[in-house]
Amino acid sequence: MSKKGLLVALLSWVLLVGMTLVVGAAEKYTVAAEIAWAPFEWVSLSGDYVGFDMDVMRCIAILEGYDIEFFDIAFDTIISAIQLGNFDIAASGISITAERDKVVDFSEPYWRSEQAIVIRRDSGLNIVTALAGYGSTKKVASQRGSTGDKWVQENLVDKGVPIEIARFENDPEGVLAVVTKRADAHIQGETGAAQSVKAYPDLMIAGTVDTGEIGFGFVVSEGDPKGILPLLESGVKKLKASGAWENLATAYFGGAELETIEDAWSECIVMLLDDGDVDGFAECLAEKANQ
Amino acid sequence: MWESIWESLPFLLQGMTINVLLLLGIIAVGITAGLGVATLQIYGHWTLSGVAIGYAWFFRGVPELVLLMLVYFGLNQFGIRISPFLAAVAALGLRSSAYQSQIFRGAIQAVHPGQSLAAQSIGMTKLQMIFRVILPQALRFSIAPWSNEFTSVFKDTTLAYAIGVIEILRRARYLVARDFALTIPALVAVAVIFFVFVSAGNRGLQVLESKLYIPGFESKQVSRRA
Repeated sequence: MSKKGLLVALLSWVLLVGMTLVVGAAEKYTVAAEIAWAPFEWVSLSGDYVGFDMDVMRCIAILEGYDIEFFDIAFDTIISAIQLGNFDIAASGISITAERDKVVDFSEPYWRSEQAIVIRRDSGLNIVTALAGYGSTKKVASQRGSTGDKWVQENLVDKGVPIEIARFENDPEGVLAVVTKRADAHIQGETGAAQSVKAYPDLMIAGTVDTGEIGFGFVVSEGDPKGILPLLESGVKKLKASGAWENLATAYFGGAELETIEDAWSECIVMLLDDGDVDGFAECLAEKANQ
Repeated sequence: MWESIWESLPFLLQGMTINVLLLLGIIAVGITAGLGVATLQIYGHWTLSGVAIGYAWFFRGVPELVLLMLVYFGLNQFGIRISPFLAAVAALGLRSSAYQSQIFRGAIQAVHPGQSLAAQSIGMTKLQMIFRVILPQALRFSIAPWSNEFTSVFKDTTLAYAIGVIEILRRARYLVARDFALTIPALVAVAVIFFVFVSAGNRGLQVLESKLYIPGFESKQVSRRA
């Protein structure tokens, strides 16, 4: 490029940046999640993206003054998509692991969830016999790539416990495999497991496993080139300080039916989207969801 | 359980409109590129015909899901950002064009050689011959095998959910995420909806085939052979 061309390019860049600053156009970030994992994220019957992660993302965006747009993509493509720069942020109940940390950056852990073992009530199994390979080879179902899947592989199968893992695309299929007796147990996060036994009364939670998991973190590109992590951290801090975080947790993890939460959400969301009232929204949601 | 699926039918059908739009896009890409590739393969200079053969060979040899991911995530590497919908239309459309090119090639070659000789003998140029004599007949022959590709492409639109297109299977997943007990009913509902749509499409193509049928000695003979 000639000197003149370089100068023109530089000038137009300065002009562009300057104009953005003057107009004050809010930055817009894209947020990826697999929005099919209640109560962290799911799609309500009216088509809205609801859930703990979704609302935390919305609240932080308002507190830190940027816009967001959600994208629903398959869970096992999320990390790659962030790595490749297809999206700016991922918020999808993603466990922090050393392996993932090599290719993307995590926020501080914001949620911790044990892995639960779901079995059939009439199976005669318990947490030990379901996983210890006592008697016949047990078949344990899991969601491919999940923390539970990894734990069973590394701590049982790799150590010689006679267990066969049946990997499924999502938790509901794994749970169905247990219901239809094609698997003896399914391993999944506690919150999801609570939903599974609610959906199928024939199932029960045999117990939970401490996988030594650090917890869920929000994800950004390696090195955080857009400087998003500080915004997320500061937003979480503000939410925790004002009590909004606690209210959101009560709303989503307080044991309310998803439909009740959806109704509460449709009533309260205007406070957030129209008035930008983060605290009011969280309070409204916690109250209405647990009425 | 089944009742709540019945109530969610509009929710699923909204997703089906995306599948239909995907289908239209894929078919548009597929027919255009497919016809072009077939024509080049048969009538093109040997270099062009080689390119056409390579094209069909490549796009028939790569799994659809891989192609989808390559187009969607791969283009991003070169700074090209396209929506999941466009990526799906491009990836599945190119794949389908490779299959369609072989359907059209077969149909073009099924037109009796006497037809092209006759066209040339009355002084038509090669292009005139292709567009006025060969293609009008070949396209008619291709409807029956093409309906096969139509059916397969239609069902493949559900693969687009892997890159984030919110189509019917994705919406079925949403229902399941709200209530795990709906896993089977939601899948059955998707199957039934597809069955109805695909059957209607195939019936339409049959009607089209019989409407466009030319009574006559040669075409009848060929279509019977096909």
